[in-house]
Amino acid sequence: MKNTPHWNADGWERGGGRTAHSAESYAAPRPPVSLFGRGGHPDRFMLALERVAARIEPLTSRWRPGRRSPSPTGDLTVRVARVERPARDVAALTLVPARPGVALPRWQPGHHVDVVLGDGVVRQYSLCGDPRDRTAYRIAVRRIDGGTGSGLAHALAEGDVLTLRGPRNAFPFARADRYLFVAGGIGVTPVLPMVRAAHAADRPFRFVYTGRSRESMPFLDALPAPSRDADVTVRPDDEYGPPDAAELLAGLSPGTAVYVCGPAPLIDALRRRVPPGTPFFSERFSPPPVVDGRRFEVRLGRAGPVLPVPEDESALDVVLRARPETAYSCRQGFCGTCRVGLLSGEPHNRDRPTGGSPRGAGFALCVSRADEGTRLVLDL
Amino acid sequence: MSGDDTLAPTTPVESGADEPDRLVLHARDVRFDWSELDLHWIPGEPFATHVINVLHLLLPEGERWFVEVFKQAVPHITDDELRGQVLGFIGQEAVHAEAHAGVLDHMDAHGLDPRPYVEQIAWMFRVVLGDRDLSGDREFAWLRTRLAVIAGIEHYTAVLGQWVLDARKLDEVGTDPTMLDLLRWHGAEEVEHRAVAHDLYAHLDGGYPRRALAMGVAAFALAALWVRGVRFLVANDPYLRGRIGGRRPRASWAVRDGRRGLIPRLGRLARAIPEYLRRRYHPSHYGSTSQAVAYLAVSPAARAADAAGREATEREAAGGEGAQ
Repeated sequence: MKNTPHWNADGWERGGGRTAHSAESYAAPRPPVSLFGRGGHPDRFMLALERVAARIEPLTSRWRPGRRSPSPTGDLTVRVARVERPARDVAALTLVPARPGVALPRWQPGHHVDVVLGDGVVRQYSLCGDPRDRTAYRIAVRRIDGGTGSGLAHALAEGDVLTLRGPRNAFPFARADRYLFVAGGIGVTPVLPMVRAAHAADRPFRFVYTGRSRESMPFLDALPAPSRDADVTVRPDDEYGPPDAAELLAGLSPGTAVYVCGPAPLIDALRRRVPPGTPFFSERFSPPPVVDGRRFEVRLGRAGPVLPVPEDESALDVVLRARPETAYSCRQGFCGTCRVGLLSGEPHNRDRPTGGSPRGAGFALCVSRADEGTRLVLDL
Repeated sequence: MSGDDTLAPTTPVESGADEPDRLVLHARDVRFDWSELDLHWIPGEPFATHVINVLHLLLPEGERWFVEVFKQAVPHITDDELRGQVLGFIGQEAVHAEAHAGVLDHMDAHGLDPRPYVEQIAWMFRVVLGDRDLSGDREFAWLRTRLAVIAGIEHYTAVLGQWVLDARKLDEVGTDPTMLDLLRWHGAEEVEHRAVAHDLYAHLDGGYPRRALAMGVAAFALAALWVRGVRFLVANDPYLRGRIGGRRPRASWAVRDGRRGLIPRLGRLARAIPEYLRRRYHPSHYGSTSQAVAYLAVSPAARAADAAGREATEREAAGGEGAQ
């Protein structure tokens, strides 16, 4: 089945086959019979629960909602107050509230903001400034050749107005007795506030900052001064060679929490070598890009609109634009939330449901596809 | 309804400097291998084992129901940040349900058929707490009532999650490490997402009487189902046949094992009700996010899931040849 990845292949199934206790197997439960004593009698306790529910439903249907929680403040509008170039191909932006006198939401080391860069392009950037400063956020962006988001971010100038969402936390910084921080290149952005926080709290740490060369590594002038409890190492590849996971982890003592941000191979290499029981934190990856996708079509219901699914988008991306209320979650084909009924068509199922639950007749919008030019009719 | 009958604003009070907040919730694709698991996975403690085993009986169908109810709520959400949290919650619950269902297969393999009990639970969630063929305002009100039930149960799951993260005694007595990882991974995610059901209820309703009634019913039902679950498991355990050390299980054993730290203390579970009924209750006041994320950073299952997910991403990016 070349070109059609099947995620149920070896390597994913670590033990356990299909469960006998799937959702489907309990889809039509029989009325409850007694569990105890001589079988066959209706279960009085369970039937009493039904009577309670049958009373509560009409009773509570007359209860009006209370005062709803206050609406969220929504998107943040900010102005670019300063643009700096702390390293080759790196832009550091200082963002202040567009309306003066407004305090920005609180954040912690590891938090990021979603930056709306226009044309539906939204990118996540770690906050790298001082969390105590409620008047400005700081982000830093490395320009990637051909990168849409980084290109737009680098085109920003002082005075430009932007929309932010968040801040949110995909890289939680938790209390530990001591820390090992490893940053690779622009991955220094979330790590730097963590290092400063550990330093301010007098927690011993080692911080290894890797990168291709000193010219490419931003914020070298903003690192804490080394001391007995603050072991700071700047380690450019062109001086020391590529980083070696074993060397980075040398001398790791129990109770140390390891925080890593940088290129994926660096994170993977460290993750594999960090001993069991040592907390390992890395920023979570974004959903995998669609690879080797073919263009196909989905129809939303037998009489609904027909939507094309381009090569580089998932059916979920397309359906969400038409039906923003569609539920989904993992975007990787394992949680089953976005599975919908398939009314007709030949799908390429690429999901790999957790726990061995059978896929049933469902079609996982987030990863599954169809042959080029064919149409699937979804029960939506 | 007067203004007093409402919930505190969803913004939690200022938490400690060490408590991570505003977490982005995401499901973890965990897998567990039960082929080596003993039926009594707390060695020599069949009673405590079965007290915790009741969770495996309740959670697969319970959490599948959470997912269904939450999916119905998604179109009503008008706050983007909350919608994101709810979607993350749904994925986590969906994975929890299937992870516990895997343990049921293991019971089957040891000659303890859990299906009669689980089928009752399925009937309760799918029929009693199902959609009840309603429409219009009544349908939406029933949705809000069910969200209130979930918010109440989620206070319990957060309390239980915090308990298992703290339960050093389980390590000391040699509890099966894979089972302990399942319980602690699940407990940590419950602590991590403990505010979502409450915030969703506050967003779509927020009324105090509905939430108080829902908690009252949920706590009573949970207690009764737990007792019935232990009775069922002990009666159908092929090694026990209804008796442990020659005696039928008794309530005082739950007090004893709670004191020993093998199961949650009954007093802690009872205290959850007045906590929850406080007008100013917010889930962020209970439990430690810091501890939860620290466990997820050492959990073998969560670590393997992160590694597998990342490698799958890279494999796709490298050429889409799939698993090799």
